[in-house]
Amino acid sequence: MFWKDKYQLGVALIDREHKELFRRVEAFMKTLRSNQSWEDKVHEVNETLEFMKVYVVEHFSHEEAYQEKIGYPGLQEHKKKHDEMVEFVMEVSDQYKKNGFDQQLMQQFGGRLLAWLVNHVAVEDQRIASYAIEKGVANDEN
Amino acid sequence: MKTELYTPFLDATRQVLQTMLDLSDIAERSAEQFDEGQENLEIAVGMVGDLEGVITYRFPSNTSLNIVQILSGMEMDSVDDFVASAVSEIANIISGTVMTLLSADHLTCDILPPVQGRPDSQKEYTQHTQCCITTSIGDICLDIALNRA
Repeated sequence: MFWKDKYQLGVALIDREHKELFRRVEAFMKTLRSNQSWEDKVHEVNETLEFMKVYVVEHFSHEEAYQEKIGYPGLQEHKKKHDEMVEFVMEVSDQYKKNGFDQQLMQQFGGRLLAWLVNHVAVEDQRIASYAIEKGVANDEN
Repeated sequence: MKTELYTPFLDATRQVLQTMLDLSDIAERSAEQFDEGQENLEIAVGMVGDLEGVITYRFPSNTSLNIVQILSGMEMDSVDDFVASAVSEIANIISGTVMTLLSADHLTCDILPPVQGRPDSQKEYTQHTQCCITTSIGDICLDIALNRA
């Protein structure tokens, strides 16, 4: 299981979206890593990629709205990391289409996404939770 | 020879492995003891700013596979594009953490995107050291080669 309870922030909306994101990334990885031929799995890979492009942007905007609401001082720095990731996802997606759905690029994308997501949720997002608890506003969104 | 830059690299590596992989059994080990027998995945991360140079991470195959297995919860049987890319991102994250630690010492640096392979450079570095660690999932060694700008 990819999701770990220690990733929970204690903010219902964000935790729900994180779990969904992890569930989708896990499904994406399982498809990528399966023994099926690339031709057999490329359709599913493409569907998940398209979903993530939309969902990641939506989730990041919800997370940024929450940070703004609680007055999180690291908002701009955090937003920069979100923007860089969105840019990366879009660039890879464009390149992938141009290359005719190249497997190697998608395997590289999957690996980086995995490590980035775990670090972002386990480290960067936990800082938001620590701030919210410290300021006594952790349950404001619940 | 350990330079003054050894500690932030060791601390950053320890911090990232603890947080991301839940590893607590991280110990220093000498570069001479680092297992050269295994095939290593080498990742170079360039540094610019007050310190300029390159950090080369060496991840033996078993370490790379174990890292990605812990992260993904899935079995990995070879260091392929997926594994190499995930491990490159780990090197990127460790390097980013080093930058944060260095900024506390008023050193402003930035990192370049990770590149697979050992850098081909004959350049001389005034700060050259190795930082190797051992854990229950394998060893990791950092070759740190930097000059003050």
